Amino acid sequence: MKLSIYSLKKILFAGEASLLNCKTVMGEITVLDNHETYIGVLTAGVMKIVETPFGKTQGKEHFFEISSGFLEVRDGNEVRCMVE
Amino acid sequence: MENTQSIKKRLKSISNIGKITKAMELVAATKMRRSQEIALASRPYAFAALDLLANVSLLSKNDLSELLQKRKTKKVLFVLVASDKGLAGAFNSSIFKKFEQSVKKESWRVRPSKDLEGPTLQTAQTAQVENFYVAVGEKSFNYLLKKGLHVVRKFTNVGDFTTTEQVQPLSDFLVEGYLKGDFDKVIVFSTHFRSALKQEALTREMLPITFNSLQETVREIIPDKGKFAEMIKEQNISFVSDKSKLPEYLIEPSAKEVLDNLVKHLFFMQLYHLVLEANASEHAARRMAMKTASDNASDLGQALNLQYNKSRQGAITNQIIEIIAGAESLS
Repeated sequence: MKLSIYSLKKILFAGEASLLNCKTVMGEITVLDNHETYIGVLTAGVMKIVETPFGKTQGKEHFFEISSGFLEVRDGNEVRCMVE
Repeated sequence: MENTQSIKKRLKSISNIGKITKAMELVAATKMRRSQEIALASRPYAFAALDLLANVSLLSKNDLSELLQKRKTKKVLFVLVASDKGLAGAFNSSIFKKFEQSVKKESWRVRPSKDLEGPTLQTAQTAQVENFYVAVGEKSFNYLLKKGLHVVRKFTNVGDFTTTEQVQPLSDFLVEGYLKGDFDKVIVFSTHFRSALKQEALTREMLPITFNSLQETVREIIPDKGKFAEMIKEQNISFVSDKSKLPEYLIEPSAKEVLDNLVKHLFFMQLYHLVLEANASEHAARRMAMKTASDNASDLGQALNLQYNKSRQGAITNQIIEIIAGAESLS
């Protein structure tokens, strides 16, 4: 899926990812490929991203600490996050 | 003619001043570029957030967040965003001038009349409007004190570059006060960074939040001219997109809560950007002021140098005349 994570200071991540894990106000959520459209509010926690396992990235993992934010899973396998 | 010695002293002090202003100019120029870059870095966030707001607000049509709702204006809060330090040319005074002008015109009281009541009713209402003031920056605090206005709070020491942590207290204060009903309207006076050479004071109603003002802020993240101006791309963010086209969203916990949260974030972003822009403008204004100052210093230095040479020449001529006169009287 196409994943982009924005913060007010910079773009934290932009590219192809296979997994996104983060905490929302309702509990922990993991977004995989072709997730249904979703909007949620994120709470403080660590966000985990796994890049696609093939190509250059080789399933590299990223971790971001966030204090708040939003998660939007859009149509067409696209995920956007706004975090602080 | 002035004493050669004293001219030399003045010449030296002017060249020192020139050096200092030149250095300050360079520092201000670098800081301005940094502030601009920081402001631009938040652009993708702003676009994404606005897009999301458009979607969510469509999904939760009936229950708007309290920050978005208009109410009768009884108490108005004014926020003046100025600098901590001086030596920035007309930067601060242009904001204060704008503030005084709009106080005189009372334009902010006329504006809401369009959607609330008729203009005649509005004027009667303005008689009981209470005003509060918040100062951002040492200079605006001093200004408001001098005017004898009631300053509720001041936020100073923002520093050379604004960080999100520094804007947070201001944003929290405004949102909390607004929700509690301490004030019904927030008007901000700050500076819009048009280009490195041109900044202008602007007035904006921050609360209640309107989509238009948010959109305007996002558009203004890119300066009109200069280094970053080429980055302008026509971004189409419409708030009237077809609901039928919109996919079914699963919203957790609820559309209203998401909207509440999002509006707060967007408000914070708007404020953050406003302060950033004021910051960049301050540096730009300082750069210009320092440039003029160092130009003046070099002009003055040249004139003094000429004067110094003339006076030195005069002294030498005098001495020669004296020697010749002495020699002649001996022979």
